[in-house]
Amino acid sequence: MRVRSVFLLVVAGFATWGVLRAQRPFQQYQTAEEHAEYSIPSDAYETHEWTRARLAYPSIMAPHGYPDGYKRWTIDYPRSDRLLLKGIKRLTRIDARSVEQVVFLDGSDDVYNWPLMYAVEVGYWNLTDEMAAQLREYLLRGGFFMCDDFHGTIEWENFMNSMRKVFPDRPVVDIDNKDPIFHVIYDLDDRFQVAGAQYLMTGRRYEYDGYEAKWRGIYDDKGRLMVVICHNMDLGDAWEWSDDPRYPEKWASLAYRIACNYFMYDLSH
Amino acid sequence: MFELFFKYPMAVFSRGTFVFLGGWPKWALIAAILVAAAGFGLLVRRMTAERGRVHGARSVAVWLLQTALASILLLMLWHPALSVATLRPQQNIVAVVVDDSASMATRDADGSSRREAAERVLNSGLIDSLQKKFQVRLYRLSDHLERIQKLDQLNSSGQSTHIGDSLKEVLADASSLPIGAVVLLSDGADNSGGIDLETISEIRRQRIPIHTIGFGREKMARDVELTDVQAPQRALPDSRLAVQVSFHQHGYAGQTAKITLKDGNKVLATRSVVMKADGVEQTESILFNAGTAGVKTIEASIDPLPNEENVKNNQLIRLVNVDKRTALVLYMEGEPRWEFKFLKRAVEDDRNLHLLTILRTTQNKIYVQDEHNDVPKLKDGFPTRVEDLFQFDGLIIGSSEAAYFTSNQQQFIHDFVDRRGGGLLFLGGKDALADGGYKQSALNDLLPVILPDRKGTFVRAPANVELTNAGRDSLITRIEEDPQKNAEKWRKMPYILNFQDPGQPKPGAVVLMDGLPLQGGRFPLLITENYGRGRTAVFATGGSWRGWQMQMPVSDMTHEMFYTQLLRWLVNDTPRRVVASTPRQVLEDEAKVKLRAQVFGATYLPASDATVEAHILGPEGIAETVEMRPDPVEPGVFTSEYTTPKAGSYLVEMTAKRAGEDLGRDTLTFRREDGVAENFKVEQNRELLEKLAQETGGRYYTPAEARKLGEDISYSDAGITVRETRDLWDMPAVFLLLLMLRSGEWLLRRKWGVI
Repeated sequence: MRVRSVFLLVVAGFATWGVLRAQRPFQQYQTAEEHAEYSIPSDAYETHEWTRARLAYPSIMAPHGYPDGYKRWTIDYPRSDRLLLKGIKRLTRIDARSVEQVVFLDGSDDVYNWPLMYAVEVGYWNLTDEMAAQLREYLLRGGFFMCDDFHGTIEWENFMNSMRKVFPDRPVVDIDNKDPIFHVIYDLDDRFQVAGAQYLMTGRRYEYDGYEAKWRGIYDDKGRLMVVICHNMDLGDAWEWSDDPRYPEKWASLAYRIACNYFMYDLSH
Repeated sequence: MFELFFKYPMAVFSRGTFVFLGGWPKWALIAAILVAAAGFGLLVRRMTAERGRVHGARSVAVWLLQTALASILLLMLWHPALSVATLRPQQNIVAVVVDDSASMATRDADGSSRREAAERVLNSGLIDSLQKKFQVRLYRLSDHLERIQKLDQLNSSGQSTHIGDSLKEVLADASSLPIGAVVLLSDGADNSGGIDLETISEIRRQRIPIHTIGFGREKMARDVELTDVQAPQRALPDSRLAVQVSFHQHGYAGQTAKITLKDGNKVLATRSVVMKADGVEQTESILFNAGTAGVKTIEASIDPLPNEENVKNNQLIRLVNVDKRTALVLYMEGEPRWEFKFLKRAVEDDRNLHLLTILRTTQNKIYVQDEHNDVPKLKDGFPTRVEDLFQFDGLIIGSSEAAYFTSNQQQFIHDFVDRRGGGLLFLGGKDALADGGYKQSALNDLLPVILPDRKGTFVRAPANVELTNAGRDSLITRIEEDPQKNAEKWRKMPYILNFQDPGQPKPGAVVLMDGLPLQGGRFPLLITENYGRGRTAVFATGGSWRGWQMQMPVSDMTHEMFYTQLLRWLVNDTPRRVVASTPRQVLEDEAKVKLRAQVFGATYLPASDATVEAHILGPEGIAETVEMRPDPVEPGVFTSEYTTPKAGSYLVEMTAKRAGEDLGRDTLTFRREDGVAENFKVEQNRELLEKLAQETGGRYYTPAEARKLGEDISYSDAGITVRETRDLWDMPAVFLLLLMLRSGEWLLRRKWGVI
């Protein structure tokens, strides 16, 4: 009897380990921005139909010629995520989890459990060949990738250095106003540059030479967007600072609407 | 031997009635037997008392033997006899019907053909003995009856055998001729599906005995015969179809046979099977792809085996009409979720499925995608008119609570399945099935499951899947061709992300797949059921995308194939407003074809007042129009019978109109094949011949017994008869019985020492 009990315990242990390994539970990581810290909601560990993932990636050190030592992928994290997800829950019928899921392109199967992935400051990312291959596989299986908060020519080039590893042959194109992604919930024909929180200090809407907001994407073979690129704007800050009265409401509103449309587009295309 | 003991042929006893010719009443016979029994009882009792050596069981035995002896003697005194109707000599006609179909040319063990054996039987005295008493009319039988003058007119050239129809023609002659009996010489290989009850009843009514003489072996030594091929009459292009090939064999048990499906010269599929025991009917399922639109002539065949005696019965042809149509499926999803996205993606490459979706994106907004020209715009959401919903062939309800649908819409959905014949799929989800309040809705009847009485049935926990026995045979869950490999593939698939307890399957529902939660237990995951004219299914999860799509390599098509096959099952049999059909698409040596059309209005109520025509195109430029007549029993059904002038392929387009309104059209194909039927069922069908004789008061004879027929045939109630009585008292069997009773008693007494 004792042997049987031990055996059952071992089997149960392996089963639990297998589940956890296949779909990692929520975990909060240290953010690089102290002001972006946010408490863990009481329902953080509840399962829901939909979860937005945040990609943790390795970054290059000095794209603009001066030292840069912190984790770029944690910019605005987790405050931006938590406020955004509150908005998604309130504005749509998506049964969204209250907290984000941090994912890694580490060769495991975990990333495939989270078909929508967001990355910030991708002007600093530095994907290895293996990571790029896994991101390509993820997207071709049906995953959706949204990136944001990178500005100007240098950061674009750095972004493309990794993206070309993902899709060497697929072009990055400007998304036409008529594309359903701008109409699935809200009609967003009139879009404008959404500035980051630096605007509150500098009064400047752009960063570096990123004067004009670019709404770009990469389409799959069926004409569906699988990568959406928000260049020369900072939607992450707009979500993060949306409850700050100093931050302009119209930018925060557009940022939420963009997110609602992009996420709904993914769920319906 | 029978006549040696009983004096008369068996036919006298089977056809005669028992009578007493003595003038004394029957009750007096019974009284006399009782008196005799009592008298012997007293005698035996006295003997027991005096001698004391015959007592107990011995005294009873003696009493019984003596009583039996006395009873038989008394019975004979009353003059028993048989009254039997006999044909008057030279005043009656005997119809001799010889099977002249191609199967009678088959050579059996002695090297002679069945026709030659029949001629031999007739020429070796049977005809002569009949002609001594009756006029004999000779007929030959194949797909019709024809009178002949001499036996040398037989040539075994008939392309089919219709015994029932031919006997009806003999009966027609009997209405004007004194036909007293029919002698049928045949192998019983009837191609018309046997002799119907109506024909048997008519023969019995006219009281004409049919004596049958059977020819041919009852079992082939080495042969494989295809007995049936079941294939769907219609399919969507590129559908995966299953053909059921039935066959039996003799002499090859345990050996391997190769079944091949071909469309013209193109091999569609092959399968090797191990053959079961001799004579056992065996059915094997073979899958193939329907391919592009058009009529497919599917030939199923079994490769000839070594030394097989008849290889012409190794193939059969069926027609599959691959419709060039696009089935419309409406998917109503109440919750933005990845199952919605991945289901849409799974079926998007199927050119014959068009998925129109309504997604509730926010509390007061919907998002309609992929609208189609054939259906009205759905800007306001789910259809509010029954005729709009009935434009679709299939319907999917996702995670959307029942209360979202108005009571009218719920009734429309019910009628969509029940009356229109559409397919309805329920998916699992947080607002689906029991959690969505469907138990209390008008849609509860449609579900193939008895929903649990509780909420909280949707569980966000992983579950593996396993095919049930029905799932192993189903085309919905067939990813790999080989059933074993297929079941193994499903067993090894990564887990699905969530599941919903759908309750228990209703009687008649079929569970194709079980869910096995990692936390333990088992529940039905995929359940199907036929409901009314349509069909319903439950797929109790919203998380198949995780295990079967995102966790699988890009090249894996499991999720796509599963949903495509599920949706095709959902819509494949959904009827249009005009449905043309025929009971048999391949006429084997038949000329007549029955045509049928079911016609409905826009709300799928029968359109009995329609005008329906069948426009027929046949080989060598045949073009005819046949008016279809309304069926007096079935509303909305129109029928007609058409006689094909030539062998070949025919195309029929049926059109229906009502008061100037075009109700629709449908096409069907059929094929007439000549020279095929006689290659099948070439063994002697003794059962049919025996049953025919038995039902009509005749008798079955083997060729060796046929010489007795000349005597037996005289006893008949048909034709011009005279009633004769035949004494029974002087039968040798009676004297033998008396002798046995008396000597039996003597032997017993000797043994007991009481002589």
